[in-house]
Amino acid sequence: MISIDREAWDVMVAHARSTYPNECCGAMLGHVESDKRVVTAVPLENAYAGGQQERYELRPEDLLKADREARSRGMDLVGIFHSHPDCDAYFSATDLKNSCPWYSFVVISIRGGEFDHANSWLPNEDQTAAIKEDLRY
Amino acid sequence: MAKILIPTPLRQFADKKDSFEVSAGTVGEALGQLTAAHADLKRHLYNDEGKLRSFVNIYVNDEDIRYMNKEATAVAANDTISIVPSIAGGR
Repeated sequence: MISIDREAWDVMVAHARSTYPNECCGAMLGHVESDKRVVTAVPLENAYAGGQQERYELRPEDLLKADREARSRGMDLVGIFHSHPDCDAYFSATDLKNSCPWYSFVVISIRGGEFDHANSWLPNEDQTAAIKEDLRY
Repeated sequence: MAKILIPTPLRQFADKKDSFEVSAGTVGEALGQLTAAHADLKRHLYNDEGKLRSFVNIYVNDEDIRYMNKEATAVAANDTISIVPSIAGGR
């Protein structure tokens, strides 16, 4: 189960709304014990060079900075979030292929610029499938 | 000694350590020492051909080794080695 604190959740949704109709992306920082808790969300720039309505790309150096911030604050990098403008919060074949099996992936559905719903996904080890993770926010 | 920072999800394969100290001349040697000490880590970092998995990036301090000498990149004492995934996607 992954739970997202209200303040972090508000940052994630605000980022998804502000970048609409493009996809947004960012890092989720918090704590990993028996469950995962997201305390802080870090909006990051979508670095994909083509049409960002349907794609996102994180710069590894941005993720490195987010991980350093987490460590400096006694937290962990818990996962990644991104938005799906005007479609559901599924984990697409593109998401799966370009994911990493180490983290939770929260997908936020934004329709018409407003939050619709969200899901969290866990890619398997060889990135051939992802299972839905219980998400609370 | 140089230090390898271990991402949170991989610490379960490294006796729950968040970092690992190495005395190595290159990134390849450093990662070799890490995976020799914690064998379960190897399959998470390397593919069956013994190459770093496609989504695994290695940084020495702020430098991505892909733009240096890859795994032959030199490591000095007090360097910090980070393991950072490549992540992208789209609907």
